Amino acid sequence: MADKRITIQATRYDPDKDERPRLQSYEIPFSDDSMVVLDALNYIKSEVDGSLSYRWSCRMGICGSCGMMVNGTPKLTCNAFLRDYWPRPVVVEPLNNFPVIRDLVIDMDDFMHKLKAIKPWIIRRQEIPLGAGEHRQTNEQIDDFRQFSQCINCMLCYAACPVYGLNNEFLGPAAIALARRYNLDSRDQGLKQRLPVIADNEGVWECSFVGECSVVCPKGVDPAKAIQQTKLETTMRFVLPYGNRD
Amino acid sequence: MTNEAQAAPREYRWRMPANWWTRNRHYFLYVVREFTVVPIALWLLWLLVEIKRAGDGPARYSPHGSAAFVVFSVITLVFALYHSYTFLSLAGVIIHFKVLDRPLPSRLIVLAQFALWAVASVVVGFVLIWFAR
Ligand code: SF4
Ligand code: FES
Repeated sequence: MADKRITIQATRYDPDKDERPRLQSYEIPFSDDSMVVLDALNYIKSEVDGSLSYRWSCRMGICGSCGMMVNGTPKLTCNAFLRDYWPRPVVVEPLNNFPVIRDLVIDMDDFMHKLKAIKPWIIRRQEIPLGAGEHRQTNEQIDDFRQFSQCINCMLCYAACPVYGLNNEFLGPAAIALARRYNLDSRDQGLKQRLPVIADNEGVWECSFVGECSVVCPKGVDPAKAIQQTKLETTMRFVLPYGNRD
Repeated sequence: MTNEAQAAPREYRWRMPANWWTRNRHYFLYVVREFTVVPIALWLLWLLVEIKRAGDGPARYSPHGSAAFVVFSVITLVFALYHSYTFLSLAGVIIHFKVLDRPLPSRLIVLAQFALWAVASVVVGFVLIWFAR
C-alpha cells in the first residue's frame, strides 16, 4: 500500500489578488493510516506549496488552534483521520461564520472580544490577602463546573452555530459555557457582573437550541446545555422572590 | 481609524448561504421542529375563536367539527406531543438539582417530569369530561 494517495482540496485566498476564496486540489501520498488532516496540510506546505497558510500548534487536541471545516463539518484537523475519508477527497476550508484572512486562517477577533466580555476569571467582592491561604474547594464543588472548564477555545461550536452565522452579535456557545463555568465555581462571586452580558437579548436568549455546538465540540463541553441552564437560572432569578441573590 | 487599520489587509466576509439548513441533517430537523409550531399556533388561535363563541351563549355556539378539522387537530396533537416530549427530556439535562449535596440523576428528573405531565393530563381530561356532562 506504499503508493496509496489521497486528494486534499484546500481553500486558497490571497486578499491582495483574489476576489473570493477558491479550492485548490493536491494529490499527496497517504503513507500511514495514522495520518490526520493536519499532517496532510503539513505535507503540502513542506513538499508541494509553501505558501499555504493555516494555524496549528500542539498537534494533540489541546491548543485549539487547528479548527477547520473538513468536508463541511467543523473539526480539529489534528484529530481528523484521513482513513475516515479515504478514498473520497477531503475538502478543507476555513471555519464557517468567520471572516477569512488568508487561505485557512480566520479572523478570531470577534471571539476574543466575546471571551473577554464574560470576564472569564474568578471575581471576588473583596480580595483575600495572599497570606490568608488558598480558597478551598471540595471534589463535589469542582464536579459542578468541571465539564464547562474543558473548553480549549477552538471555536468549532461557533462555526457550527447557524444562529451565530446569521447574527454575529450573538455571544455564542463557548463564551456562555465559560461564563457558566465561573458562575458555578464556589470561589467566584462575579455572577452579577456577568449577568448584563449573558442574560441580554444577544446573550442566552438569542439561542434557539439548534444543538449543533454540542455535537461538534471535541471536548464534551456541551455548550448547549450551559446555555439552556443559564436561561433557566436567569429566569428563576427574575421570577422568584429570593431569586436576586448573589 | 488609524493608518494601520486602514492599511489592514482585506478580509473575505463570511455570508450564510440561503440554503444553510439543507446542508446538515441536524439543521434540517431543527428547521422542521421550528415550523411544527405554526400549525399549533393556528390551532390555538382557532381555540380562542371557539371560546369567544362559547362565551356568546349556546345559541351562537357552533363548534367546528368537519373531518378536515379533525385531521388537522390530530396532526397538531402529534406536533404538540413531539414538542412536549423534547421539552421534558431536555429538562432533565438542564435542571440542576441537589439533594443532600448530591446532584439528582437527570433520569429521575425526566421521569418526574413525565409523571407530572401524565397526572396533569388526567386531571385536565377529567375536569373537561366532568363539566361537559
Ligand atoms: S465549547 Fe467545545 S467547540 Fe466550543 S470552543 Fe470550547 S472546546 Fe471548542
Ligand atoms: S494543533 Fe492543537 S488542537 Fe489541533
